[in-house]
Amino acid sequence: MKNWIKIAFRNIIKNRRRSMITILAIGIGFSAICLFRGYISSIDEGLRNSAICGEGLAHLTIYKKGWLENGKIDPANYLFSKEEYTRIIQILTKLDNVRLSTPQLTITGIASNGNNSTIFIADGVVAKDDEQIRKGVNPQQLSEKNNSLHSSNNHEGIVSEDLSRYLNLKKGDYVILMSTTLEGQMNAMDLDITGIYNTGSKATNDKFIRLPFNFAQSLYDTNGADKILVLLNDWKDTWKVKSEILQLLTNYGISCEVQTWCERSVMYAQVKKMFQVIFIFIFIIVLFIVIMSTINTMAMSVIERTREIGTIRAFGVKQRKVVTMFSIEGAIIGLLGALVGTVIYISACGLIQYIHPTYTPPGVSTPVPLIVHILPGAIFQFTCFMVLLSFLSAIIPARYASKQSIIDALGHI
Amino acid sequence: MSLISMRKVCKNYNMGSTIVKALNMVDLDIETSEFIALWGPSGSGKSTLLNLIGSIDTPSSGKMLISGQDISQLSENLRAELRNNCIGFIFQRFNLIPVLSALENVMLPLQISSCCFSDAKQKALKRLDDVGLSGFIHHRPDKLSGGQQQRVAIARALVTSPSIVIADEPTANLDSETSKKIIQLMRKLNQQEKTTFVFSTHDQRLLDNVDRLVEIEDGCIKE
Repeated sequence: MKNWIKIAFRNIIKNRRRSMITILAIGIGFSAICLFRGYISSIDEGLRNSAICGEGLAHLTIYKKGWLENGKIDPANYLFSKEEYTRIIQILTKLDNVRLSTPQLTITGIASNGNNSTIFIADGVVAKDDEQIRKGVNPQQLSEKNNSLHSSNNHEGIVSEDLSRYLNLKKGDYVILMSTTLEGQMNAMDLDITGIYNTGSKATNDKFIRLPFNFAQSLYDTNGADKILVLLNDWKDTWKVKSEILQLLTNYGISCEVQTWCERSVMYAQVKKMFQVIFIFIFIIVLFIVIMSTINTMAMSVIERTREIGTIRAFGVKQRKVVTMFSIEGAIIGLLGALVGTVIYISACGLIQYIHPTYTPPGVSTPVPLIVHILPGAIFQFTCFMVLLSFLSAIIPARYASKQSIIDALGHI
Repeated sequence: MSLISMRKVCKNYNMGSTIVKALNMVDLDIETSEFIALWGPSGSGKSTLLNLIGSIDTPSSGKMLISGQDISQLSENLRAELRNNCIGFIFQRFNLIPVLSALENVMLPLQISSCCFSDAKQKALKRLDDVGLSGFIHHRPDKLSGGQQQRVAIARALVTSPSIVIADEPTANLDSETSKKIIQLMRKLNQQEKTTFVFSTHDQRLLDNVDRLVEIEDGCIKE
């Protein structure tokens, strides 16, 4: 085998110009898929952080059994009572991975400045818990100054940027929030505006409000909560802890349903799926380039070395070995292509980090930096894949080479 | 038992709708340590006969035994093993592997038979010494003269200590002085090693040195 690797490597060097073009083609394709994979990874991380911290979904959300189906129609029957959510929160403290659990009540209605009015959706949150969720588990991920409720005053809240513009609201003003109580009575309360924040999404930036949990309860005239948010120490434990919570609460005789952050964030699932499709598309193109380049190079090599093939076969090399010999050459080309691709990929990542470009994705209200992660795992996986692909691509011309008659091969000029 | 035994061997080639009879009812026996030349005009069937003796081709009909083995009955893989163990080849155009040094070229047949590296190297060095090329072991073929390349080819053909060496016009691409040396070398190795040499040639100097001349005309032997 060592001998065949030596012959393959020397032949690559001998035909260095042709080999370089193929290696470069593979390298560019390799770097393209690595760059896009790194970009998807950064998008995935950004969307995850945006969902968990930015949107304040935390990692898990616990609802009373049936809430997801009937909660909007008959909220009174599917809210957790104060005793229930207090008990659940107490039970959840037994789980090591749970950082905090907090009740929330989402309310909807009409917001008015006295002259104009528009619809609103408001999350009634416990201010100190909400702040922790928005900061995330990473202390470096500090939220914007105006992006959290800090006040202990039950009549102070923060409104989204576009909503404040529509109603001409600014910090220090107040807004009238009108809604129906659980019994169907109209209710209205004034909310003092202590901050204006950007939700990050155009779809929600014109209607979202964050206000104290007690305020939401008062407006709905209830002491309950529609959900309990659970923040974990590590997002990777989301699915494991979901099962643990369901099991634990069932053991305590509490019927509930649990949603993960990715189930709640529609944007995350859609964007991730879209990028996966684009990735597959790019991957197929690169696949095609690698296969065609390798087949072309190896076919030329086979033609040029026909007499050599005849000679080694006359000396007793079996057909299978001839295939192996050329396949090894293809694999080495694939490996060198992957190495060149890795250099291009890391260089491009460095350049992006240095230039620090930004762009505004569709549906997003603020520019975001273009980030491409360097993924050693992906480099390793794609390198193995490129080597295997080049190895297999070389088999086609190699099989042709091995099947030639020795006499014809020896007579080849 | 003869080293090579051919009985009523025919070899036909299909050229479109025409069948060309390259060999017709050939009977031939070759004994160990013979130094035989096949000669005849172009297209007479010399190369076809050499190909059959070298077992890189199989007869269309008839029986052909090499060291007692009927080559028509052997699979492609077994014929490859037979070639590797029993037959050495010397080609008109030398056919050295261009990316390998003289030493590596000579080691190649041994490495094909999975001989260990150190043994292969020792044997190859000895063969290169036998052909007077111990000073050129690291030279690639393109850095060697035609005569030196053919000596490397001879060393490569002999490195597995084969029973028979097939040489297809071994001096055709060499000048007369080099040809003379190559002929002397092959003759010496034939006498020392008792290896059978079978070659096709038009070279009169080579024909003058052989033990036995086999003349072929129109695919038939006229010994």
